[in-house]
Parts: sequence; structure tokens; C-alpha cells
Amino acid sequence: MSTILVWAALGFYGLAIASSLPSLIRRRPRLTPTTLSAVSIGLLAHLAALILAATSQNRLPIVDVGSATSLLAFLVGLAFLVSYMKYRIMTLGIFILPLIFILTLGSLLQGEVNFESPQFRTRWLIVHTSSLFLGYAALFMHFAASLMYLIQEKEIKSKKPRAFYYRLPSLEILDDLAFKTLLLGLPFLTLGIISGFLWATLTWNGLWGLDPKIVASVITWAVYMIIFSARLTGRLRGRRAAILALIGYAALIFTFLGISYASSIHGYFPTQEGILNY
Amino acid sequence: MNLVLLGLSYRTAPIEVREKFHIPEAELGRGVRLLSRHPGILEGIILSTCNRVEFFAQTQDESDLGNCLRDFVVEYYQKEFSSIDSYFYCHKQVESIRHMFRVASSLDSMILGEPQILGQVKKAFQVAQDAGAVNGLLRDVMNQALAVARKVRRETAIGNLAVSISSAAVELALKIFGDLRNRTILIIGAGKMSELAAKSLLRSGASNILVSNRTYERAVEIAHLFHGTPIHFEHLLDTIPRADIIISSTGAQHFTIEKSQMEHLITARKNRPIFLVDIAVPRDIEPRVNELDNVFLYDIDDLEHVVEVNRHQREQEAQWAERIVQREVEQIIRRLNSREVTPTIVALGDHLNHIRAEEMTRAKGSLAGLSHEQKEAVEALTQGIIKKILHGPISELKGAVGKSDRNDLVHLVKKLFGLAP
Repeated sequence: MSTILVWAALGFYGLAIASSLPSLIRRRPRLTPTTLSAVSIGLLAHLAALILAATSQNRLPIVDVGSATSLLAFLVGLAFLVSYMKYRIMTLGIFILPLIFILTLGSLLQGEVNFESPQFRTRWLIVHTSSLFLGYAALFMHFAASLMYLIQEKEIKSKKPRAFYYRLPSLEILDDLAFKTLLLGLPFLTLGIISGFLWATLTWNGLWGLDPKIVASVITWAVYMIIFSARLTGRLRGRRAAILALIGYAALIFTFLGISYASSIHGYFPTQEGILNY
Repeated sequence: MNLVLLGLSYRTAPIEVREKFHIPEAELGRGVRLLSRHPGILEGIILSTCNRVEFFAQTQDESDLGNCLRDFVVEYYQKEFSSIDSYFYCHKQVESIRHMFRVASSLDSMILGEPQILGQVKKAFQVAQDAGAVNGLLRDVMNQALAVARKVRRETAIGNLAVSISSAAVELALKIFGDLRNRTILIIGAGKMSELAAKSLLRSGASNILVSNRTYERAVEIAHLFHGTPIHFEHLLDTIPRADIIISSTGAQHFTIEKSQMEHLITARKNRPIFLVDIAVPRDIEPRVNELDNVFLYDIDDLEHVVEVNRHQREQEAQWAERIVQREVEQIIRRLNSREVTPTIVALGDHLNHIRAEEMTRAKGSLAGLSHEQKEAVEALTQGIIKKILHGPISELKGAVGKSDRNDLVHLVKKLFGLAP
């Protein structure tokens, strides 16, 4: 049932993309009611699927790659809808709607993994994973806003207005969006990392060593802290801050996916033995 | 539907001719009243702007299209028409509707997409309505023309791309700052161009104006003009960090602001973006300033270039607008055409139902003995017969919509069924 709902959500995301295509060629891009309602219905179906999966398995749906990407797709979609309501940046949809679609499709193709482990039931782990996921979603918006900032900045600097100049919002709005999503994402990222430490310390009595994923996430966190503090003091703003945001997000993706296969604790597809034998 | 439009515009007549035909606003009511009462004319509207004078009317006769409007113009201006014939264009039927839609949508304007024309069309329509000069078909066409114009504004960018130097400066400022509320503008030097740019920025919401000039008295003068603050020229560099937008047009032979200075200034601004508009020749601001992060420098040529690109974009937008107009014209024609046969269809249906009702009443006595079910069967039977009879004529009438022989068919149906002509 849950899978069917995700497929339905995928269909609506696809519909949203298709219905937004005509307005992309226009110089007055605006999301049509069709696109907005397709995204909203898709997200509702997606939410229902996530709740259903969580209640039927009695755990948060984040322990395997499939359900983790599914949750991430949902959160990014939600963040997109909220920021669209506030900033009315249609162009954000160009980046985000296809991403949501791909993430959702990816989650469906991964299939389901069923396993049980008492270690995945502690409260700290729930805090650890859910706050990291919220952080990922917010920081993805931070990334998208920074990317758009870079493009628009280049358009204005080049003095030769091209397609993006007309379709992207002002630098101020993009900067504001980037800062606010950073403001939202950073605390979640921090909380996620700290709760991870706590959980690991409680579970393994501090004997978890330097897992590659932990190292990578600390580096990612440091990059974001630099962006944040430089922005507060006014030392780093505009183009350079945006470039740093891209680096930060690359580190985040690397941490989220790449390192998983090198890490013994954080691997997705954990085998029952793997976790228990640690 | 007998619509005709007679007009002249900047395309067909030079200003010396246009000003002779221009009808001032105060006389428009009288003019449109005369037009609607002219022999052969059912209703009319007059649009008179500095770029065009148009007479749009519905006439009584299809064969007389144009002639009575021509007569009216000659009579109204007391001029011999042959001498002015070459200035006027005449659009009939569908083409008159299309022309009015295009005019209202600013597709026929001298500056493509300029916003005033919609208000002028609205005003002309209002005057005609107040004078009681429009009451039927023309009112629907004009209402639709306004709706189409609004749709074009809403769905295309034809009206919101800057096509002048000062509006291009505002457009760029908006692309950098989002909105201009509480932004500070610094004007260095003086000149028509910088005043124009400052005015446009103020209109877009900028609030603080600082003015600096080599002669302090001149700075005070200009500052007074904009309710701004004059700045001593020696304090210029200390003032720059406070400004979000700088418009520079001094007569200096050397750069007033150099890259090395700007580097310090932008740090003093905590890297908040700054927009520099250099409209001086020779230039006031070192061009390499644009290489600095968060500094955006445009000189007069750059602004010209933006205007040129925007003008080209407007033309592309106009193509979209033309498509919208085309769709809307087709739609209203379909509606207006069907209106010509609809009254006959309704009258025919009423006529037959009336006959049925009469016959039913007459037969009431002889049907009294029937059971409830039987009575219902009779009802259904008679209704069925009417429907079958109506089917042929109605589909013929509907099929004739838009065809040249539709009026003959309408007459024939009326005659055959004895309907009021």
C-alpha cells in the first residue's frame, strides 16, 4: 500500500513538472495552479506513504537507502513548497521538481529492506537521523539558492542579459533565501551530529573510533559554520559565500552517499550480523 | 454583425495631420453621441490619443459598411474626404475586432507594450457608455478588448522590460536589491540624465537621496529638488559606504572613484552589494571596479545594451501576445456568430411547445378518462414528436454559423414556421 502511494506521489510530481514546462519558456514564470496542486497532492500521498510505512514497521523509515531517499524527497518537496509560498521563485522549481522526481523514483527502484535491530529503536538515534534529514532538506534549498545566486550574479556582471536574467529573482531575494535556509539547516545538522555522538557513546561506550562518515560530517559541519560566521560578520558575502555553499553541499552529498559504503557503522543495507557483531 | 473601424495612426499620418483630427477629451462625449445617431449607425465609440484617432461602429446594413462612417467623419470635421483619404485605414468585421484587440493590448503602439493605451481605451469606452452610444454588440466587443489587453499584460512580459536608459537602471537595481525601499541613492555631479535616473529610482521606492557636487551650492540646489541631503565633495569617499546606488555624472577628466578605493569602500560596507551607474563621458568610475565582488558597475553603453536586448525581448513577447489576440478573436467571432442564429432556435422551440400546449388543453376533455400512466405516455409522445421535428432545422441553423448564407436560412426557417420576422 505504501509503495502504491509513493508511485502515486511520483505520478503527481511528474505531472507537476510537465505542467510547469510551458511557463518556463515565458519571461514571466509563475507556477500554475495545476503545478501547485499537483505538487501538493503528490506530497500528501508521499506523507501518507511515509506514515503508513512507519506505523506498519514501527520505526522511522530511514534505515535503508530506499526509504531514506524517499523521506529526503518528501522533505525537499515540502521545503520547496514553503519557500515558493514565501518568495514566489518559479525558477526554483526548475532545479527542485526534477530532483524530487528522481529521488522518489530512486527510492522506489531500491526496493524494501526488512531487518530488525534493537539498536535502531533508541530515542537518540531517532533524534540523530530525523534532525540530519531535516538539515539535509534545508541545506539543499541553501544549495539551490546559492547556485541561482551565482548564475544571476554572473548575468548582471556580464552586462549581457540572457535567459536567466529575466527568469531568476533578484540577488537580494536569493541571498535572503540562502541565509534563512542556512539558519534553518545548520542547527539541525549540529543537533544530528551531537545526538549521533551521544548515541554512539551510549551504545558502544565510546569505542566507536574515527568512522569515515563521522569525520566527513564534521568537516561538512565546519564548512557550514565558516559560511555562517563569515556571513554574520560581513566578511564573506555574495559570490564567494555562494561558491562555499556549493562546496559545503558537495561535502554533504559525499557524506550522505559516498562515505556510506566505506563506513562500517553507517552503511545502508546493514546486514543484521554487521550491526550486531560490531 | 456589421462592424467597421475607420482610423488613422502614427503609422499612416504624420503629427501635423494627427493633431488636426485629434478630438479633445471635453468634446469626446458630444462626438460619440453624434456618431451613434448618425444615419445608418447603430452604436459607436471614438478613441482619440496623440498617436491615433479611431472610429469604431456597428452599422445597420452589411452592404453599407464603411460608407456611413466615412460620411460621419466628413461631416464631423467639415472636410472634403478625398483630400485626407490616404491617411485613413478601414477595417471591417473580424478585422475591426482584431484591430481593436491589438490596439488595446499595446501591440500597435509606437513603443511596443507601453502601458498608457489600455487606460485610454478604457476611458474612451467609458465616455461612449456615459453618452449612451454603445448598447449592444459593440459593448461586448469593447469589454472583451479590455479583457484581452489585461490577459496580454498578465501572461506576457511585453510591458515589464525596461526600454529606456533610466528604466533599465531601475530594472538592474531591482535585480540586485529586490526592492528599493529604504535604499540610499548618491548622486555625484549633475545633469539631466542623472536627475532622470534618480527620479525613476525614487518612483520605484528608494527613499534617501544624497547629492554631491564640486560646487556645494549646486549640490544644495539638486538636493532640494529631491528632498535629499547635500554632501561636501571632500567627504564624498566617506559617504560612499552609506550608498546602495550611486549615479555619477561629473565633468571630471579623471576617475572620481578608482578600483583601489572601491576595494576599501566595499569592505566598509561589509560586502553588502553596491550598484554604480556611470553616465559620464569621459567615465567617472574606473571600469575595473566591476571586477570586485558585490560591486556592479554599468556605464552608459552597458545600459544602452540592456535596453537594446530588452527591446528585442519585447518583440518576442509581442509574438506571444499576437497568439493570444488571435485565439481571442476566433473565440468572440464564434460567440457573436452563434448569437445570430440562437434567437431563431429559441423562438422555434417556443413556437412548437406553444402549439403542443394549446393542443393538449384542447384535448383535455377527451383525455380525461386516461389513467395516470397513459397521460404521462401522451406527454412523452407529444414531446418526442416536437424534438424530432426540431432536430433538422436546429442542426441546419447551427451548421450555418459563420457561413455567408446564414441570414437566408434564418429567414427561410422563420417563414416556413410562421415566426415573427
